Amino acid sequence: MPEIFIDGKRYEFEGKPKLLQFILDNGKEVPFFCYHPEMSAPANCRQCYVKVGTPVQNRETGEYELDENGERVIRWFPKMQTSCSMEMTDGMVVHTQETSEEVARAQKDTMELILINHPLDCPICDQAGECPLQIQTYKYGPEGSRFEVKKVHKPKRVELGPRVTLDAERCINCTRCVRFTEEISGTHQLTISSRGDKNYPITAPGMEFDDPYSLNTVDICPVGALTSTDFRFKARVWEMNQTPSIDITGGKGTNVDLWTRDNLVLRLTPRYNENVNTHWMPDEARMAYRKFNENRISRPSIKADGNNQIKTSWNNAIETFAEKLEAVKPADVLVLGSAHASVEENYSLMKLFSTWGVSDFHFSPDVKEGFGDDFLLTDDQAPNTNGVKALGFSETSAEDLKAAIKSAKVVVLLNDELVDRGVLDSEDLKKPFVISLATNETETSKSTDLVIPITCIAEHAASYVNVEGRIQRSLPAKETKYTHRKLDLEMSEGRLDRYGTNFDNWVNEDNKVDCTPIWELMNNLGKRLGLSVQFGTSREIMDEIASSNSSFEGVSYEKMDDENGIQLTGMNKEEVSA
Amino acid sequence: MANNYEFTPEDLKEIETIKAKFPEVMPATLPTLWVAQRRFGHVEPEVQHLVAETLDLPVSHVHGVATFYTQYYKEKMGKYVLDVCTTTSCQLCGGYDMLHYLEEKLGIKAGETTKDGMFSIQSVECLGACGYAPMMQITNDVYVNNLTEEKLDEVIESLKADKMPEFESVGMPQHTERS
Repeated sequence: MPEIFIDGKRYEFEGKPKLLQFILDNGKEVPFFCYHPEMSAPANCRQCYVKVGTPVQNRETGEYELDENGERVIRWFPKMQTSCSMEMTDGMVVHTQETSEEVARAQKDTMELILINHPLDCPICDQAGECPLQIQTYKYGPEGSRFEVKKVHKPKRVELGPRVTLDAERCINCTRCVRFTEEISGTHQLTISSRGDKNYPITAPGMEFDDPYSLNTVDICPVGALTSTDFRFKARVWEMNQTPSIDITGGKGTNVDLWTRDNLVLRLTPRYNENVNTHWMPDEARMAYRKFNENRISRPSIKADGNNQIKTSWNNAIETFAEKLEAVKPADVLVLGSAHASVEENYSLMKLFSTWGVSDFHFSPDVKEGFGDDFLLTDDQAPNTNGVKALGFSETSAEDLKAAIKSAKVVVLLNDELVDRGVLDSEDLKKPFVISLATNETETSKSTDLVIPITCIAEHAASYVNVEGRIQRSLPAKETKYTHRKLDLEMSEGRLDRYGTNFDNWVNEDNKVDCTPIWELMNNLGKRLGLSVQFGTSREIMDEIASSNSSFEGVSYEKMDDENGIQLTGMNKEEVSA
Repeated sequence: MANNYEFTPEDLKEIETIKAKFPEVMPATLPTLWVAQRRFGHVEPEVQHLVAETLDLPVSHVHGVATFYTQYYKEKMGKYVLDVCTTTSCQLCGGYDMLHYLEEKLGIKAGETTKDGMFSIQSVECLGACGYAPMMQITNDVYVNNLTEEKLDEVIESLKADKMPEFESVGMPQHTERS
């Protein structure tokens, strides 16, 4: 097997990997800006310099020439090489900044040149704290600048498109954003304008950067040049904490991170998963954070007179729920699951009502034909269509649903905006007593008789099955009135969460929503109805599902966490598209 | 973008010949921009859009190429663009004097165009004719060497009569020795 010596240590490799990627894969570090594993390597930032040499070989015998000490004679490349574009060959010898003063000096000098026109505005820059330029300058850069004249001025606050704002002075022209539009999203909307020290990325004149994936350029920008118009100046990176989760705006199940501060989700960023979305996510999915914060239903509410809903107590809500059920036969109750809710939520709803005597369970699929592309957007607008199907909810068309509601006396509606997305009319919900278990105030929740708030994906751990049949789970990122960050070991703590107190002026109790996970609600309802149904945590519910439903065989939170989601058997792409 | 510019059939034919020279379309961007600049006198954003459309390339790419090279005029210029060199050799031999003389004579500053649309003046970096400093280039074409105020007067007069100055062959020292 071919071998390579990096900093005096021998490594074996296969194929023709590039040097920088190989170094990173082996847990070592070389600073770089323009390289990105998903895109081509133009080697234009010149930061990943290393010293490279190849052993001298006798052309006739093919043997390595040895010096008087019996060591291989190394012929060094006359200049430093950029490791990102350097193809590895057998017997190659590499020195990084760790073992070569010369390399460390070369990197430091490159950094000094990169920094010549870079403004020193880290204290007001959004990228500060997660800025490769800031971090690598700290680690490998010069102590100060020797450049004493005025820096070049370029356009600031340029609205490249509806979602991305450019500060051209901060740009170091790594061309990652340009290559993203050329190689990943394929819209070719960005280019580098001008040259020399005056260049910066821009759209063609009269064109907008309205790429449906435009915000990914903000993520890959190694400086604060491209910022999210929505998120800029909202929070410092170190004030937030980061919780892994799943995108719920589409069927792809894009892996995301929720960034929270004081129990508000402030932004979503993609999380790497080579089987689903790699490094990217669609712009649309990033706006989902507003749903986690705004128009949340806090405390149950009940329709009093006419169409007015008033807030009521949890006791009253559960009592009313139970009374309404006890007044009718199970056959008169219509239970609607939701592809917008998780597997655990649908399961606990189904289990309680089937124990009580209901045998039919329905859900209304949320599919927009022609919405999807070949990348991360899907026709399916719901994150869990496959999961609900696998649990045994039957797919029901709008007409059938209307008929079923008409003949029912009590309707239980799991979080699904049926009125808002045009499946039902609010008139359809007039006749039966409708109980809505919902996260957000919508036209749908307003049209119902009893609204009970439940946790959203940002507040509970629950799993979702994407269009390809891959089950992935979320972790709680926000506290509710009844959870506590320090007691729930699945919740992460940011600096402010850990060290702040309730008396700090950034803590707002109002950001905690008065809601419970649906399985806790089902526990209370079951107890009131005298049913022997008891749910533990969502982790235990998933174990229960895995042992009782063959579609979910072998699924557990531990396995999902270890493997970044599990591909369910018998649910491949062909089956879904059929 | 509404486009007021159009290539003539002859231009399109020329662009086809250019495209045939390369295995891909992208390298045809530079020569096609020249065709456009010859036709319209500039490559304003609208012309960039036209070139992109004709070559079926992203507009952003054409914009990037056009802005990279200073010889492409990204705005309307005078009929004759006077590029006066002000880099070292020319600077030492009076390049700036020549530039300022021209500015005064035509009543415009470097980077501007006369009202009648005849002349634009630009102060440019080295054009590689240091032996004949100070010098200038006219509309990316003829070099005018060893400038003096009198010579500039002459050149302006002949340009006003739409006559480009002749190409001046300046012999290298070794050539003069031989003759």
